[in-house]
Amino acid sequence: MLAKIAFRNIFRNRRRTLITLLVLVMGAAGMILFGGYKEMNFWGLRETTIRNRLGHLQLYRKGYLSTDSQKPLEYGLDDVAQIRAAVEKDPRVAMTAAQITFMGLVSNGEKSETFLGTAVEPAKDRQMRSQRLETGRELTNGEMDTMMVGRGLARSMNVKPGDYLTLMTTTVTGSLNAMDFRVVGTFMTGVKEYDDRAIKVPLSGANYLLNTKKIEKLLVMLKQTEDTDAVMADLKVLAVSRNWPIEMRTWSDLAGFYHQVVLIFNGIFGFIGTIVFVIVVLSVANTIMMNIFERTREIGTLMAIGTKRKRIWALFLLEGAMIGLIGGVLGLLFGAVFGQIINYANIQLPPPPGYTAGYQLRILMRPSILASSFALSLVTATLSSIYPAFKASRLNIVDALGHI
Amino acid sequence: MTNSVIALRGVRKCYRLGKVEVPALSGIDLEIQGGEFGALAGPSGSGKTTLLNLVGCLDKPTAGHILLDGADITETSLDRLADIRASKIGFIFQTFNLLPVLTAFENVEYPLLLSGVSRKERQERVHEWLYHVGLTGQATQRPDQLSGGQRQRVAIARAMVTRPVLVLADEPTANLDSETAAQILDLLSSINGETGVTFLFATHDPAIIARAHRRIRLRDGRIAADERNHQLIEGVLNAR
Repeated sequence: MLAKIAFRNIFRNRRRTLITLLVLVMGAAGMILFGGYKEMNFWGLRETTIRNRLGHLQLYRKGYLSTDSQKPLEYGLDDVAQIRAAVEKDPRVAMTAAQITFMGLVSNGEKSETFLGTAVEPAKDRQMRSQRLETGRELTNGEMDTMMVGRGLARSMNVKPGDYLTLMTTTVTGSLNAMDFRVVGTFMTGVKEYDDRAIKVPLSGANYLLNTKKIEKLLVMLKQTEDTDAVMADLKVLAVSRNWPIEMRTWSDLAGFYHQVVLIFNGIFGFIGTIVFVIVVLSVANTIMMNIFERTREIGTLMAIGTKRKRIWALFLLEGAMIGLIGGVLGLLFGAVFGQIINYANIQLPPPPGYTAGYQLRILMRPSILASSFALSLVTATLSSIYPAFKASRLNIVDALGHI
Repeated sequence: MTNSVIALRGVRKCYRLGKVEVPALSGIDLEIQGGEFGALAGPSGSGKTTLLNLVGCLDKPTAGHILLDGADITETSLDRLADIRASKIGFIFQTFNLLPVLTAFENVEYPLLLSGVSRKERQERVHEWLYHVGLTGQATQRPDQLSGGQRQRVAIARAMVTRPVLVLADEPTANLDSETAAQILDLLSSINGETGVTFLFATHDPAIIARAHRRIRLRDGRIAADERNHQLIEGVLNAR
């Protein structure tokens, strides 16, 4: 009966309930949309960071992380065939990719610029989808003296596919070496500062230029990012058992920018969440207080005919909880539907600071976001009823019955 | 009429108005016997409603003792008083005071829920009392779909359904037209005659005062007169 009374009371003053529900629905839906947008950004940035640069895990020769190398590839990995074979046996591993990063000068005969070079295994690099091809083609296996150039650097050096550039860098012995590479394509990653300096060459070309057979690191790509820690733990055990002189890092250890973005977004999300929480609390508390004021004589009657104070308290608490429940359900529906509409609408957002390409506005509907948005509505509405409900339960019966 | 339902011993009640203490009742000694159909009369401010509130366990006296059904309830806890009200006292208000979100049936059923009466028995008792007050056909209607007289009948059924020992009615006819008021008074009188439940009214209504077996006149918080209409009492006793 108490629940029946509470439920029916919600619809007594429909206009006021509607306004309160609107606040709850907007609050919950807003949390779903903003939370979904945030999660989508986190997911996108994480996967882009992993696929573009880092891989899920990076394996190095022991000492690489703790020692400042005097010469290039001083702590490079010599023979990784055995390690690769063992790592790739793990069903959670999608592939491994050898990589060297190096720096030097790039020249077109008239002008020189510094470059950040990445030597890759062409077929593996294509699978990583680490860049967007702008002109020409990607690198292919079996080539040695071909290169891809970042969009900004290509413009600066005024090159197009078919042109030649000379790369000059320090070899592993410390001497200078230079080699001509044919530009086969230009690419962009979206990060302007990187695209203004980036080149990619086949691993064999870099080995020749650097005068070594070593690689700098072995990237491990997993099928699921969530398996990262588990795979690393297993690999560490494997490395010890086989006496491999390697050390490793996860993408999370290396993704400083990603963590900064997460920190900032979570801060903003928390701030907005707090504002929504306060608005909802004040709105629902106001509704319940108004209800109590209007129903003072009714409360007096209920108590006069034998209703105990705790039951009065429960009645108003239940009303708050029911408003929160209805608001939460409607907020979920509204947020989910509106989120899907946004996802299908293909809304393009401008490039973020430091990026050259825009991206689609997408809302990721994670169960955790839906649950927390629903909980926000239910919990805040219930919490904000506690004090008004307590006040109602403390009313003096005689005064309440005489209330006009 | 041998058992005392309510007994007041030296009851005083004062209210605070700022720093001033205003006496509402001063040294009331009163005993209401089972089955009485009594009226508290007197001008506004004489203490009728205050006395009714004390008898109904809605308020506590500043001094003195109140005994309900032989038990001293003066120092009883609020929760226990709520239980006493739910099981032993029925209330009828001037403004009917029904719960607007409940149907007539549910309004009558509500006090039984507080007393933990089984569903089957609740159904039987509510139907019995709705029939008794002539509202069987209006069981599913909400108060705003009922006339003033019908609402007061629902309130009477709600007061009686718990089988109380005492029904307190504060100006039960004040919001009704004279014809409806007379019908309600007839109904209350017949219920008193049939069930032997004690009724105590606080009223200005001459019709109620005329029909009351006992008239307690209050003035300035004191009992100014306490008269019994022996002719009416004899009639009721003979009818029983």
